[in-house]
Amino acid sequence: MNAHEQFADDLALLALGTLDGAERVRVEAHLRECAACRGELERLRGDAALLAFSAGGARPPARSRERLLAAVAGEARRAPAPRVRRRAWWSGLQWAAAAAVLAMFFLLVRQNGELKQRVDQLAASSASEQQQLIQARQLITALSDADADHFVLVSSKTPPQPQGRAIYLAKSGTLVFLASNMPALPPEKIYELWLIPANGAPIPAGLFRPNAEGSGSVVRPPLPVGVEAKTFAITVEPKEGSPAPTSQPIMLGTRG
Amino acid sequence: MSRAASDVVSTDAMLVSAIRSGDQTAMAEIYDRHSNVVYSVALRILGDTGAAEDILQDVFMQLWRNPRAFDANRGSLPAWLAVISRNRAIDLLRKRRPETDIEEIVVNVEPDMVRGAEWSLLLGKIRGALAGMPDAQRLALEMSFFEGLTHGEIAQKTGEPLGTIKTRIRAGLIALRKACTR
Repeated sequence: MNAHEQFADDLALLALGTLDGAERVRVEAHLRECAACRGELERLRGDAALLAFSAGGARPPARSRERLLAAVAGEARRAPAPRVRRRAWWSGLQWAAAAAVLAMFFLLVRQNGELKQRVDQLAASSASEQQQLIQARQLITALSDADADHFVLVSSKTPPQPQGRAIYLAKSGTLVFLASNMPALPPEKIYELWLIPANGAPIPAGLFRPNAEGSGSVVRPPLPVGVEAKTFAITVEPKEGSPAPTSQPIMLGTRG
Repeated sequence: MSRAASDVVSTDAMLVSAIRSGDQTAMAEIYDRHSNVVYSVALRILGDTGAAEDILQDVFMQLWRNPRAFDANRGSLPAWLAVISRNRAIDLLRKRRPETDIEEIVVNVEPDMVRGAEWSLLLGKIRGALAGMPDAQRLALEMSFFEGLTHGEIAQKTGEPLGTIKTRIRAGLIALRKACTR
C-alpha cells in the first residue's frame, strides 16, 4: 500500500467533515506535502456535492428572497471588495510613482540640457579669458623684458630726458610702470616708486634699477586695492628700499 | 466542454465578479438560480423550514460579504454553495461552531455535470446511482453526509467494523462520481 492508498478512505471522511482526532491530524499533515491527495480531496468534495444535489426539490418561501435582498441592501458596498481596493490603491501608487519618475526624467533632461549649455558657455568664456591672459602676459613680457628695445620719441632738437610712464587701475590695485633714460645709480642706491594718494602718506610702489640703456620697470607691485592716486613719484633710496621717502622726489607724475 | 456548459460556468463567474463590485442585482440572480439547492440540503439535514431558511440566509450572505472565497476556476458555484450549506447545517445540527472557513473549501466538480440544460439528467444519474448501491453502503453515505456522523458513530449504530464503514463511504462517493461522468 502506498501513501495515497493509505489515506484514501480518510480523505473521503475528511471531505465529508467527519474525520476527527489523530486520524485527521495525520491526514492533514500528509495533505500539506501531497498535491495529489489535495486534488483527490477536492474531487471527493465534488462527489459530496452531488450527494447534496440529491436532496434537491424543495423551494424556499418568497420571504427568504426578500429577507436576503434586504440584508444585502443593508450591507451595500459602495466601493469594490477590500482586495480590489488594495489593488486600486496599489495600482494608483504605481501610476503615481510612474508619473513621478517620468516627471523627474523630463526635469533631469531639462536640467542636463541647461547644465550642458552652461558648461559650453563657461568653456567658451574660459577659452576667451585664457586667450586674454596669454595676450596680457605677452604684453607685460614685452614691456618689462630687459631685452626689449625701448624707443622714446622727443623733439629732434631736445636731448633725451629721464621719463617714466605709470599705468594704474585703482579698483584692482594694478600698476605697470615703465622708465627710460634713467641715470645710472651707485650700487648702494636704488630708485623707488611711490603712489601718492589724495589723502595720506606716500605708499611704496616698487623698486627698480635701470639697465645699461637707462630703462627700468615695475610690474604689479603689491598695492592696496581701491586707493585713488593723486600722482606717482620716484625717489632715490638705499638699495634695500625704504618704507617712506627719505629724499625729495626726482620725478613727479602728471595725468596724461 | 460544450458551449452550453461554458456559458453557464462563465455566467456564474460573471455574476460573482459583479457581486465583488457590489452589484445587488447580480446577487438576486444568483439567489434565483441556486437557492433551491442550498435550501433543500439544509432542509434535508435539519428537517425544519425555519432553520433551513436561516442557513439559506447565512450561506448567501457569506457569498455577498466574501465573494472572493469562491474560485470559479476550481469548481461550480452550485456545488460550492451546496457543500457550504451542508457543512453549516451539520454544524447547527450537532450544535457546534463552524469548523471550516468558506475560503478553505474547494469543490471540484466537472462542469459538464452541472450545466443547466442537463440539470434534470444529472439528478437522474445521482438518484439512479444511489438507488443502485447496496443499502448498507447508501445508508453509511447518507448517515455521514446528511447526519454528519463519524465513521465510529455509524459503526456503533450499524454494528459494522470501522474499516468497513470507511471503505463503504469512500466507495459510495466514487460510485456517484463515475455515474455522473459517464
